[in-house]
Amino acid sequence: MESNSKPGEPLTRRGFFRSGARVAAMTGIGGLVGALSNATAKTWVWQIDPSKCLRCGNCATHCVLEQSAVKCVHAYAICGYCNLCTGFFQPDPNALSTGAENQLCPTDAIRRTFVEDPYYEYVIDEKLCIGCAKCVQGCNQFGNGSLFLQIRHDRCVNCNECAISRECPGDAFQRVPVEQPYLLKTTRR
Amino acid sequence: MKKEFEFVDRREFFSTLARGAALLGLAHVALGDEPPKGLNPFAYDVARFSKTDPKLIGYDEVGRWPVGFSEPKRMAAGPDGQLYVCGETSVRQFGRSGVRHLDFIVGEQARCAAVDGDGTVYVGLRDHVEVYSATGVRRASWEPVGKKAWLTGLALSESEVFAADSGGRAVLRYDKTGKFLGRIGDKDPERNVPGFIVPSPFLDVAFHRDGLLRVNNPGRHRVELYTPKGDFETAWGEAGFGVKSFCGCCNPIAIDVLPDGRAVTCEKGIPRVKISSATGEFESVVAGPESFPENAGACSDLNDCVHGGLDAAVDAQGRISILDIVTRQVAIMKRRG
Repeated sequence: MESNSKPGEPLTRRGFFRSGARVAAMTGIGGLVGALSNATAKTWVWQIDPSKCLRCGNCATHCVLEQSAVKCVHAYAICGYCNLCTGFFQPDPNALSTGAENQLCPTDAIRRTFVEDPYYEYVIDEKLCIGCAKCVQGCNQFGNGSLFLQIRHDRCVNCNECAISRECPGDAFQRVPVEQPYLLKTTRR
Repeated sequence: MKKEFEFVDRREFFSTLARGAALLGLAHVALGDEPPKGLNPFAYDVARFSKTDPKLIGYDEVGRWPVGFSEPKRMAAGPDGQLYVCGETSVRQFGRSGVRHLDFIVGEQARCAAVDGDGTVYVGLRDHVEVYSATGVRRASWEPVGKKAWLTGLALSESEVFAADSGGRAVLRYDKTGKFLGRIGDKDPERNVPGFIVPSPFLDVAFHRDGLLRVNNPGRHRVELYTPKGDFETAWGEAGFGVKSFCGCCNPIAIDVLPDGRAVTCEKGIPRVKISSATGEFESVVAGPESFPENAGACSDLNDCVHGGLDAAVDAQGRISILDIVTRQVAIMKRRG
């Protein structure tokens, strides 16, 4: 047959176009499969399940980013707006003031603002937060547990294998649909 | 004799350099700032508060027995020293040795109780009070307080009943027939009443024969004293983790009064029971966190600290008993000396 020309034989025009069409078809199928797999990968993102988080500190130290994509977030509906906030203050502070020696956060990432006697509001400055979970631990151990960790998707680069998830001792990292990228705490129990 | 000056050959120079580098490397590993692998450099360390200075402990535990409830709530002392424990849908009467004498079913979850001199038992349910005879026969069920009501403490005077309502953030005053007489503790700047701050449902009330009510105000970390008519008299207590303060977001969670007017307070988070003078000076620890390791652990779980807690009951002879709602046991305490 002309198309199965032996080595050394001249290539016919028909054989050339037939081979070309096969290559084009294979390239197209390959591209389609690649596009589909890319689309599937983009529909899932990493997130932390707060009910499994052990506040181990790994989120601050194991993210591939220089400053972790994991941040502390605050469920205001759960917060008690306490004067002695155990997420804000060192254990046994010398005064309930914003003095650096009294603050628990190693990066001064929590703002404390007086609301009305005896309530104070606590706001996380995410630019400063490194996701170390020290405040989360204090809030959960002695308070209502309104502080918890979440991956911020404006920072996360969504690695195929998240470096923090590999080290997470609580198996708290999971893939969630991009349409619902956060696992938030609510007042419902 | 060694010469004062010698040329160093290249081999010796590099071998000395390599030795120096190796020593520096070892020193860095041994003395470096980085914590050993596996340790959390951001750990929230409160371990130093989990032990009580033995010199501060004024009581010994002389007995401990289970109450048999899966979810006990509060405890009250009867006129002859019996203990009434509320849990699930019943109230159980125990002797101090743990022998159960009586177990009577109430309509829904029993949350708190108070026992009169004649043995009449007042039981706080979610939104109302029920009255039972000494043998457990229901005599009355009072009008519900409202949808937000969440009764968590009861106290009796000679003629009145006081119910601590965590949901409504007030103490409700009744006569013994169930007639509602008024609310105590609602925020009122004109009467200098600061208002109760109750982040978790642990409002409690106790009455002393000096005529004043003691109410814990957990969000303010203090005990407040009121007249039965609701006049705010005074308050004591401060926030802090030390043994003389009230720790966490909201403590104390329970209160009772000794016959001489001294207060017995219970805390969660760092579970401990303490005695303070009538004017609020710390006196001694009845039982510290080392007595309730499971209770302390309940506040280290993954969610929050609303599952731990203790309650204390003082009988007419001033004997203290402690209900641990995590281990579901009662600890009988005896004063040292």
